[in-house]
Amino acid sequence: MFQLRWVWARLGGSHKRYLFALVSTALLAVMALGNSIITANIMDTVFRPLQESGTAGPGISGHLQVMVAVLVGFTLLRTGFGYFTNLTYENISQKLIYELRRDLYKNMQEQDQAFYSAYRTGDLMTRLTGDMDMIRHTVCFILRQLIHCIVLFTTTTITFFAADWLLALCMLAVTPFIFLLTFLFSRQVHPLYVDLREKLSGLNTAAQENIAGNRVVRAFAREGYEIERFDEKNRAYKEANKKASLLWLRYSPYIETLSQSLSIAVLLVGGIFLINGRITIGTFTMFNGLTWTLSEPMRSLGVYLNDLQRFFASAGKIIELYYSKSTIVSRPDAVMPQGRVKGRVEFKDVGLKLRGTQVLSHIDLKIEPGETVAIMGPTGAGKTSLIGLIPRFADPTAGQVELDGVPIRRYDLKALRSSIGIATQDVFLFSDTVDGNIAYGDSGMPEEEVERFAQIADVAGFAEKLPQGYDTVIGERGTGLSGGQKQRIALARALAVKPSVLILDDTTSAVDLETEKYIQEQLAGLDFPCTKIIVAQRISTAKRADKIVVIEDGSITEVGTHEELSQKPGYYREVFLLQNGGEEERQVG
Amino acid sequence: MARNRFDVDENLETPFNIKHLLRAGTYIGRHKKKMALSLLYSALSAAAALLGPLLVQRGINVSVPNRDYGELVLLSVGMLAAIIVSVLFARARSRYMISVGQEIIYDIRKDLFAHLQKLPFQFYDDRPHGKILTRVINYINSVSDALSNGIINFVLEIFNLVLIAVFMLICDVRLSLVVMAGVPLLLVVIFLVKPAQRRAWQDVSNKSSNLNAYLHESLDGMKITQAFTREEENAGIYDRLNVKYRKAWMKAQYTSQLIWVSVDNISTWVVGAMYLIGLAFLGPTMQIGTIIALSSYAWRFWQPMLNLSNLYNTFINAVAYLERIFEMMDEPVTVDDAPGATELPPIQGRVEFKDVTFSYDGTVNVLEHFDLKVEPGQSIALVGPTGAGKTTVVNLLSRFYDLTGGQLLLDGTDIAGVTLHSLRSQMGIMLQDSFIFSGTIMENIRYGRLDATDEEVIAAAKTVCAHEFISQMEQGYDTQVNERGSRLSQGQRQLVAFARTLLSDPKILVLDEATSSIDAKTEKLVQQGLNALLQGRTSFIIAHRLSTIKNCDRILYIADKGIAEMGTHQALLDKQGRYWQLYTAQLEG
Repeated sequence: MFQLRWVWARLGGSHKRYLFALVSTALLAVMALGNSIITANIMDTVFRPLQESGTAGPGISGHLQVMVAVLVGFTLLRTGFGYFTNLTYENISQKLIYELRRDLYKNMQEQDQAFYSAYRTGDLMTRLTGDMDMIRHTVCFILRQLIHCIVLFTTTTITFFAADWLLALCMLAVTPFIFLLTFLFSRQVHPLYVDLREKLSGLNTAAQENIAGNRVVRAFAREGYEIERFDEKNRAYKEANKKASLLWLRYSPYIETLSQSLSIAVLLVGGIFLINGRITIGTFTMFNGLTWTLSEPMRSLGVYLNDLQRFFASAGKIIELYYSKSTIVSRPDAVMPQGRVKGRVEFKDVGLKLRGTQVLSHIDLKIEPGETVAIMGPTGAGKTSLIGLIPRFADPTAGQVELDGVPIRRYDLKALRSSIGIATQDVFLFSDTVDGNIAYGDSGMPEEEVERFAQIADVAGFAEKLPQGYDTVIGERGTGLSGGQKQRIALARALAVKPSVLILDDTTSAVDLETEKYIQEQLAGLDFPCTKIIVAQRISTAKRADKIVVIEDGSITEVGTHEELSQKPGYYREVFLLQNGGEEERQVG
Repeated sequence: MARNRFDVDENLETPFNIKHLLRAGTYIGRHKKKMALSLLYSALSAAAALLGPLLVQRGINVSVPNRDYGELVLLSVGMLAAIIVSVLFARARSRYMISVGQEIIYDIRKDLFAHLQKLPFQFYDDRPHGKILTRVINYINSVSDALSNGIINFVLEIFNLVLIAVFMLICDVRLSLVVMAGVPLLLVVIFLVKPAQRRAWQDVSNKSSNLNAYLHESLDGMKITQAFTREEENAGIYDRLNVKYRKAWMKAQYTSQLIWVSVDNISTWVVGAMYLIGLAFLGPTMQIGTIIALSSYAWRFWQPMLNLSNLYNTFINAVAYLERIFEMMDEPVTVDDAPGATELPPIQGRVEFKDVTFSYDGTVNVLEHFDLKVEPGQSIALVGPTGAGKTTVVNLLSRFYDLTGGQLLLDGTDIAGVTLHSLRSQMGIMLQDSFIFSGTIMENIRYGRLDATDEEVIAAAKTVCAHEFISQMEQGYDTQVNERGSRLSQGQRQLVAFARTLLSDPKILVLDEATSSIDAKTEKLVQQGLNALLQGRTSFIIAHRLSTIKNCDRILYIADKGIAEMGTHQALLDKQGRYWQLYTAQLEG
């Protein structure tokens, strides 16, 4: 039930309107009886007397005209009111899910890497689509129907008791059984809906990964296998759906039979009472005519409680997402950097432990403003983890990282990140124009600026050849561009924020050497002060750095310039010799 | 076609078409028997339910005046029997309908997914993946009820309507015509509202697609967004899409809700008119009893009309989704098995490009008159500027695209004439983008050959030097990684992808920047392992680090839409051409 309370709290500014809508529903439930009352009146006052007397009395036609006018007017009023009420529900529920989506989106933007490793995209998508719709459906429809049922049930019950309490009691005798069955059912169905939701999420994830990995699927000719795998999920979802629905079918015959047997009570008990004169034929007719208003809510109760269980399963997922908290946030007393960050980066005895594994230990490193530092090391040594500490993608578990002499945890997170430009290893581009991708960090950037940075990153050469130049839309994740082209756009994007600290994580690995050389020259001549931290695999990338840092197994093993390190036995020299193995050959040749 | 972005509606130009419903009919047709039985059961259930009022009538008219308690009890028992029969038939119908509804969406989804597996890269590159995902999951879920219960109810209501119309006509033709005069009136309303309604629901489906596409992309690119502190702006974009969706939804509601309002009002008008006309013009010549009877029929006539109009809304909505689903199912398969395609026999490894011309878009040629002959077991390196077409050459080899001109022969067989599966399953392609599926590392490597034993998987991992880091992870090969692969560094992902390719035991190996993120030392080790494996296999290697390719049998310098230079490393150096330039540049770094 806390899910309902939570949703109620989220309705915030709409409380009054929502209550109004619920009250309107109650009124409409009663008004729905209006048509039959007016029609009955027409029958009783116009046609039945006519049938009995055979002649039209004076003024009867006038009376009928008035009654028809009342009927038409009343219907117009009722439907108008109903239309208005329904739209109110739609409005409120749309506002609710609009706000929820907005808040969830914002919350997800604040989540750290741990969150994104734990939740799959397909699962998050399920929450913001299917689960969200369940909430809408509940606020807009289920609760309305429940109110409708309750009102019909109570008004009829009261009417019945007023007419004849014993007969009313006989009719209501079945209700406890119906409630019991409904209760049992909804308790049993809950886990099924939780399971169904998981299956939907699994289906979503399977489809999502197949779409994202379509190139790999083709490359391995795994279409058949993928179809099979998806079929498994598709089937599981189907079966879970059936299972949940079939459970209802196990209960519904009893509930249906019980609620319909109200008519039997009327026939048998009412008939007996009629015979012994306890009730009149009028009372009997009233009971008989209104039986459905009592049985209908009882039958539907199960259906709506069923839906409500789905709602509980979905709302739980939404609430979980709503309250997930990132560990990486600005402190309440966070400071803003004074003016432009100079770019002095210092690692002080930094250690990082991720999922029980020591990724980095005892890192001490000082980088002066404007310096270029290259970081090298074997695959998986911790290079990317190390540079990820600067924009706080993760927080160190020991020691601290300082920027301009201030621990980075003390900075406002956004201010910190805006002073850093980063091109990550796994290039992610957005399905936007080339221009839009480069200006990602500052979408108000004038075109000339974009083109200037494109020039520096050597994007200009190929961008201008694209069908619409910089306005060419590139596919999601930059599909359609070569690896080197994507990397260069990512580089231009990082440069375009004019960062104080520029982090390039193996950004030129897929770029040919001539281009790389050009880029390096451009980077050396940037017109804003900038500390450059470059993760590299190639000697050619690292060679000209002011300082080369070698990381092995999470620790710094070598620091020095190219000249120093290439003479000293160690990782750097080994790699240098490997990559320049041709040197001797050339000398020989 | 221009690429589609998240904020661009995918407009559907075809007018409203019953075709989509008919096509859905082929899915429903598979369940003809169940549908027919459901119809029958529903009819029987309804018929049994009709017995109730008759029994009550008998009780009041006969048993009560006769003070016959015995008969009252008998009637009650009869009524109970009628209820049970009715409930059981209704249950049998629901059982079928649950199954049919789920089977239909299962089938549609299965077919759509299977079709997606055949679609070219282009398809995936041209639109946000979120839009594809929304169709596979959300849209298909939305049509389930319309295609199962919707159809049955539609038939039943029509049946109901005809039945009541016949009863009315038997009572009195003229008054019946008055009641039925409302039907054309309603049709006019529907006719007027329909275009707006269809547009509105299409708009809803578009806007939800846009919203989901943006969400999907946001989730995938979250790290970049955070790094560039673009959260607020993105939240703003999401907010705008959110608002648009909400508006589209409300707009659809404004028109959709009008339908039931119209039905309610029109029905009241015609019944009112019937009363007035009946009294004023027909009164003297007819039995008043007829009017009384007609009055109750008239209301009952309009109840199915109301239900039908609600169903109509459901169908309009479902068709909006079906259009999208079938549109995707009709997406042309550009690369497919030719009619009469044969299985490619086990590859020896002779590759021949004969006067190959290729263009992605049909206007700009990427390759022109490309000729190349490769003997079995040769290793071929491709170098050249980014975007020159190196990846294109190897993509053609796997027939990811069809040639614009010329022929590509494998062991003398034109690859256009063999089945894609037999071709691609013998090729090992290591793509630039090393996509990792969520699952264990073991599963990811095994993707290369599904029947590989654990030992074989581990052996492959050892060959590419991935074994060491994998066994250091807390659960070794059973460590879960997710689709963004965030547990692995880029280099590690490449190694896993590499192992996956090797495991597939390809006859022709294509390495497209396969080692760009791997450090030089590891790469050296990988190469040593690889050399043994490459014995007798033809291989194509694209790499920027020339140390990687120096020992290849032949090096092709790809530029200007073809091969600019070709020869061994030494021969090309002696030539002092573009390769030589590249090589010296690398040495000078």
